[in-house]
Amino acid sequence: MKARIFFFRAILAGVLVAAAAFLAAAPREPVYVGARACGGCHDGAGMGYQFSIWLHSKHSRSYAALAKPAAQQILQLSGLRGDPQASATCLSCHAPAALAEPWQKEEHLRIDDGVQCEDCHGPGSEYMAEEVMRNPAAARAAGLKMPTEADCMRCHIVKGSHVAVLALPAFDLKTRMEAIAHPTPENAKMGGLRLQTADGGAKRAGPKYVGVAACNQCHRGPESGHQDSLWRLSPHARAWSTLATPRAREIAKSKGLEGDPQQMAQCLECHAPGALAPSEAVLSSFSPDEGVGCEACHGPGSEYMAEAIMRDRRAARAAGLKEVSKETCLPCHRQAHGKQYELKIEAIAHPTRPAKRASAAEEPRYKTPVSLALDPRGRELYVTCSGSDSVIVVDPIARVKLAEIPVGQQPHGVVFSPDGRRVFVSNVFDDTVSVIDAAERRVVATLEVGDEPHGLITDREGKFLFVLNAASDDVHVFELGSLRRLKKLAASRRPWAAALSPDGARIAVSHTLPRLVPFQTPPVAEVTIIEAARGIIEDRVVFPAANLLKGVAWHPSGEYALVTLNRTKNLVPMTRLLQGWTITNGLGLMWADGSTDQLLLDEPDWGFPDPNAVAITPDGRFALVTSGGRDRLAVVDLAKMMSVLRQASPYERRHILPNHLGKPTEYVVKHIPLSHNPRDLLILPDGKTAVVVNGLDDSLSVVDLERFEEVGRIDLGGPKEITKVRYGERLFHNAGITFRRQFSCATCHPGGHVDGLTYDIEPDGVGVNQVDNRTLRGILDTAPFKWNGTNPSLARQCGPRLAVFFTRIQPYTPEELSAVDTYIASIPRPPNRFRALDAELTPAQRRGKAFFERSKTNDGREIPVGNRCVTCHPAPYFTDRRTHDVGTRSPYDTYGKFDTPQLNNIYDSAPYLHNGMALSLEEIWTVYNPDDKHGVTNDMTKDQLNDLIEYLKTL
Amino acid sequence: MDSRLVWLGLILAVLARPAPAEDLPYVYTKWKQFTVENGLPDDHVFSVKSDGRRVWVGTENGLALIDKRTWKVVRVWREEDGLPWRVITAIDVDPKTGDVWLGMFGGGLARFSGGRFDHFHQLNSGLVNNVVYGVAVENDNVWAATTAGASRYNTVTGEWTIFTEKNAPMEEIWNYGVHYRDGKVHLAVWGSGVLEYDVKTGRWKEYLDPDGEMEIDLYRDDGIVHVIITGAAYVENTLWASSYFGASRYDGRHWRGYYNQDSGLPSDFINNIRARSANEAWFATDKGVGVITDYKTNTWVAYTMDPKTRRGRAEIYRDRELLKTVDMEVGIPHNFIINLDLEGNDVFVATSKGLGVGIGEDYYAGLRPVRPAVAGGGQ
Repeated sequence: MKARIFFFRAILAGVLVAAAAFLAAAPREPVYVGARACGGCHDGAGMGYQFSIWLHSKHSRSYAALAKPAAQQILQLSGLRGDPQASATCLSCHAPAALAEPWQKEEHLRIDDGVQCEDCHGPGSEYMAEEVMRNPAAARAAGLKMPTEADCMRCHIVKGSHVAVLALPAFDLKTRMEAIAHPTPENAKMGGLRLQTADGGAKRAGPKYVGVAACNQCHRGPESGHQDSLWRLSPHARAWSTLATPRAREIAKSKGLEGDPQQMAQCLECHAPGALAPSEAVLSSFSPDEGVGCEACHGPGSEYMAEAIMRDRRAARAAGLKEVSKETCLPCHRQAHGKQYELKIEAIAHPTRPAKRASAAEEPRYKTPVSLALDPRGRELYVTCSGSDSVIVVDPIARVKLAEIPVGQQPHGVVFSPDGRRVFVSNVFDDTVSVIDAAERRVVATLEVGDEPHGLITDREGKFLFVLNAASDDVHVFELGSLRRLKKLAASRRPWAAALSPDGARIAVSHTLPRLVPFQTPPVAEVTIIEAARGIIEDRVVFPAANLLKGVAWHPSGEYALVTLNRTKNLVPMTRLLQGWTITNGLGLMWADGSTDQLLLDEPDWGFPDPNAVAITPDGRFALVTSGGRDRLAVVDLAKMMSVLRQASPYERRHILPNHLGKPTEYVVKHIPLSHNPRDLLILPDGKTAVVVNGLDDSLSVVDLERFEEVGRIDLGGPKEITKVRYGERLFHNAGITFRRQFSCATCHPGGHVDGLTYDIEPDGVGVNQVDNRTLRGILDTAPFKWNGTNPSLARQCGPRLAVFFTRIQPYTPEELSAVDTYIASIPRPPNRFRALDAELTPAQRRGKAFFERSKTNDGREIPVGNRCVTCHPAPYFTDRRTHDVGTRSPYDTYGKFDTPQLNNIYDSAPYLHNGMALSLEEIWTVYNPDDKHGVTNDMTKDQLNDLIEYLKTL
Repeated sequence: MDSRLVWLGLILAVLARPAPAEDLPYVYTKWKQFTVENGLPDDHVFSVKSDGRRVWVGTENGLALIDKRTWKVVRVWREEDGLPWRVITAIDVDPKTGDVWLGMFGGGLARFSGGRFDHFHQLNSGLVNNVVYGVAVENDNVWAATTAGASRYNTVTGEWTIFTEKNAPMEEIWNYGVHYRDGKVHLAVWGSGVLEYDVKTGRWKEYLDPDGEMEIDLYRDDGIVHVIITGAAYVENTLWASSYFGASRYDGRHWRGYYNQDSGLPSDFINNIRARSANEAWFATDKGVGVITDYKTNTWVAYTMDPKTRRGRAEIYRDRELLKTVDMEVGIPHNFIINLDLEGNDVFVATSKGLGVGIGEDYYAGLRPVRPAVAGGGQ
């Protein structure tokens, strides 16, 4: 019996030992441990004060620098919104560890340490042990990296946004490397960061030092005036690390003190007062390297730090919170080291509720109205204002503004429920719909919808709400009563606006991007027809050779619907603009049987650029169309238009009329000048008045439909001064720069984004050197421009080149060019919908990240550094801003090296590659990378490629 | 009256009394046939899906739509009409959106919506392989059973997930079919039995043949009859499975195997299966349609076509005992059955010589007492 028990115990022990060995042998994923973990060894005289050198450098303040007003300006010039300290783009250089997943960060890692050790040397959990560190080969195998110049230049490469704001001298890498150099000395002796770092012994009663990190858990971010960052930027934060400098040793010596100033009480008394506290008065969260931290002035915080106490001033004082006066400062600063000291408390002031700073980054906030809707009673207009994130309520009869309701970011579409009780507003930046109670004029609910919601519509019975999501190419259908999402319908590309047929049976949905078509094929645009009763797709009507379908309206007879469109001849070189060679603008007719016609609104000697919206008078006689690029409204006599169609043969209707510039004069009876960038419009129920949104004038035009002239303007209350950005925005949306006003910048870049087309621009042969249209969102820091990378700046891109190849008249003046470029730099890029900052990656995304960063193939072969994804596509913009030959040159190209495109929100800009020949991300590698020149991918299995795609979507 | 006459009358009265009733299943006797003569693009019908008033028919050379209101082929799509690939092996319809999903043999997947075909294949999407045998819509996901594993496409996020031996208990990766119902996805896998995926938990469960790779059923009713599974269906917590070597039923506790030798299955070589309930399932065999109509009594109806007369025949079996034969002028168009669908009371049979549609007028489930004199239909 005993033998049996012994036998089983031996077996069990063996199993446990084997399991432990197995687990020990399995490689662990390295995680970030934080600079202070490194500093535990890498500091002090014996280690060349490595930690202190870092703490004294700008790297340690890089996160705090994002709290400066300049950072907000740079953020805007990078096409971003919000708080720079919460922006993945900013953090990828200013605090890279912030972008790691939560599980990759140990609790002592502090993001406010900015660019810290592991951002250059790699996550340290597996190499930090002394026995590993002392073995260079083992340390490298465990993840220790020695950064190269290329690693530095990934962040320090010149960026237009930073140059525009900071006016810093050119970055001299060699000089800067010397400034941050922290070599390990010969005969290095590991020093201590801490004089006392652990909770030592029994704690005494009374206040104890908790450390800046504890204070910063609450006193951080814009809500608290960035108190944490203000301290970090101040010399107080470097007071301890400055004791490691040669100057400090000189001063100490001059006072007859020998040794390490960081260990001397005489120095620490002022430079790190908390370091002198006995161990019983210090919690483990405190670190002496914080120098003159919060508690050096405000007193040890353990008793007053709780929020309930902090909010009670008297209680906080009773718990030890000290008021700060010059008496707090002077004992250390009076005659310190022979320096004259003038007390300027405002230099380090960090009020909890700062006065609103007149920041240079603050632009006047224009309304920038977009769409409008009339309540079913006909008494109120709701106007969405994308610039002010609000909805303005207007009395269309009295022509006065009644109210302004805050909604989400960049509101676009607006629709009333059929009973008029609720108003739905799409918020493009938030991916939400605000539900407004019309009686109370406030938001009562917010719906999560798809990506970049634009148009909205309900059915007549009030059963469904349809939300058009432009970036996810779908329509979300909600039950209007419960606001429960029922389903998602597959639309075409970038659904934009919707209109309900007169009988309430069908909803026509327009799309600004054409369908994806094979390479070198003309575009095909779609109007999706939804059956309103059941909320399903009924039909898809195509308009050949058309794109940018925006406004849509049904004729009261129900026989047809009108849709605004462009006809872009993208497959022939842009050799001229005469006679509509490049882009023409017009209307599409979609008949009830699904057949279509197209007619122009341009005339031979001048264009009707950017037709944005269309409305038809209740009597069906006239259609009104806004021209965003020409600041006017066209009046179309529909009877005459029908006559033109009837008189034409089927061949002429199909092949001649869509390109016939001579026909519009037969049915366009008037052009009514309006103000800057007319967008949406509607006709009041009596048919006598139209109201038009002037997007860049913050006003509504009131048009008399009997006289066909503007008779009034409603001011929405925006700022009156025109800033440079606003001026640039107006120029961008105006066709004044093009010959015969054919198109504006916004024509090919609606919303500052893409039109989904590839273009044959230069006169080098038909079909030669076609290039895919690229986004303008957040591009300032991605120079050079143009697919062959030959334009070093936006000024070059939008200056003479624009005139030579595109607009064909005199270019922008220097002032205009500067304004346009400033505006382009401010065009925002929406948040990535696949991964929020600090969110965990999904397992597939995590696997894909590993592939993106891999250095070996599946069978263990080394991938050359130049052929790894992450080499050419490093954060934050995932471009190294160089040209490379990735094997994608086609027989139609005269060159083979292309500028590396940025990958932010890459999911939203199909097609891909320089000429748009890859219709999906997959095709980049399944079809167009046969020789592994665009990264090594041919060894990957299909599921590995899927994972890579999932990760790319998070960038 | 002569007493002999009275006795004669009594005897005749006894003899004239109706025969005792027998419990018999419903038999489909009203059939329609569709071939190229009716407008189908091809007689080889690989898939069929009934969706309300529409019947989608997938053939070797195109897709057809039959309108039930007129029972006519109203539209045909071939490759020149935009159909991405001519061989349609599987069809399912998203009940929320009405989108039609097509599995194509060598062409991947297509979504047909509002007249537009969106093509997903292994080069332009995350689909694992273009040889698609089965397709099933599961909530916001579309599953494809392919020759190199199963793919799941999330139509909301656009994410593709591949299931193979790496992340599923798939000993072989050749997926023959996929079925979704009641929170469970079932894959029919050549050589790997039935794999059940719980949508809620994301966990797999496998059903293999306990007899291993033996080609005989060593122990009856101990599991699925064979690992080469061609189809699976799950309804009322009951799993039905078809193989090339018979059929199986599992109610969560008991297994039951079915063979031609002891049931109404026309053949053990079964291409596909659809189940109406825990009690009734339809099997597409190479020698006709076998329908188990009552599990408890093992009552079957076998539908075949007489190749000489081309007339239809329905034979009612109990175990393997033939109870009744019903002759029909029109029955299924051919005995090689490739696929099936059931909707409401009607049945749709895809054969190698056209589509057969059985109209379930007065259909009843299970068995009903029927007097022998009543013929066909509702019996």
